[in-house]
Amino acid sequence: MTDKKHDHQKCLSLFKKLSEYLDNELDDKTCEEIRHHMEECIRCKVCLETLKRTVELCRNIKTAGIPDSLKERLKLMVYDP
Amino acid sequence: MKKIPERKTISDEDTELITAINSGQKSLFYDLVKKYEQKLYNFGLRMCNEKRDAEDMVQDTFLNVYRYLSEFRYEASFKNWLYRIASSACIKRRRRSKFAPEKEISLEDFIPENKENIPDSLPPWASEPLEKVLNAELSDNIQKSILSLPEKYRIVLVLRDVEGFDTEETAQILNIKPASVKVRLHRARLFLKEKLRDYFEHDR
Repeated sequence: MTDKKHDHQKCLSLFKKLSEYLDNELDDKTCEEIRHHMEECIRCKVCLETLKRTVELCRNIKTAGIPDSLKERLKLMVYDP
Repeated sequence: MKKIPERKTISDEDTELITAINSGQKSLFYDLVKKYEQKLYNFGLRMCNEKRDAEDMVQDTFLNVYRYLSEFRYEASFKNWLYRIASSACIKRRRRSKFAPEKEISLEDFIPENKENIPDSLPPWASEPLEKVLNAELSDNIQKSILSLPEKYRIVLVLRDVEGFDTEETAQILNIKPASVKVRLHRARLFLKEKLRDYFEHDR
C-alpha cells in the first residue's frame, strides 16, 4: 500500500490486524509496530482512519422510537396474556 | 474426593428486578419490557429487513424471556442472555425469508491491488468532526449497508459496533469462538468502509 521504504507484505500483514488494533486487542509489541508503520505509510494510515471512522459512525447512527402498536402488543402480552 | 467447582454467577443492575419477578411479582415483568423494548426494537431493525419482522422479533423475544426467566441462572448478565434469545429469534426469522442470501466475505476482496485506487490523503468524511459528517441521510445509508451484509457478519457487527458488546460477550451471545468474532467483525467493517467510500465518492 506504499511506494517506498517498506515492502507491500508488511502492509498486508498489518491490514489483517487493524480492527484488533482499534479495539485494543493486540499486544504492546504489535501495537507499537502498527503505530510505527502508520508514521511511514500514508495509505495504511488512510485505511486505518477510515476504518476507525466507519466504527464511530456505526456507534452513532440514529435510533428509532418504538411504534405505539408494538408498545400496546407488549403491554397486552404482560397484563392480558 | 474431587471438589466440583462452584458455578460462577454474576449480579448486575437487573438482578433485583428478576429476583422479584421470579419470586411471584409477575407484573414487574413489564418494567423489564419497558427497559429493553426500544433497544431490542432497534436491534431488530438492524437485523431484519422489514419493520414488521423487527416488531415480531421483539414480541417473540419477550415471550421467550417470560417463559424461561425462572430458569435464568445469572451465569451471564441478563442483557447478554436477552440478546442471545433475540439473536436466535432474528436468525430463525431470516431463515424463513429470502432476504440477503448467505455468502462469505473474503479479506482478499478488500486488499487494494491497484495503487491508483488507493487514496493517499485522508478523505473529509474521516477527518471532519463526527457531528458534521453524520446526518439522517447517512444514518439511513449505513442502515441499508448493514442490511446488505450477509447475516453472520451483520449480527457480529451489530452486536459489537452498534450495541457495544465486547468480543467475549458477542462470542457468548452467538455461541461462537472469540477468534471467529474478530475475523467476521474485521471483514464486516471493511465491507461497510467500502460502502461508505462509495457513498461519499459517487452516490451523494
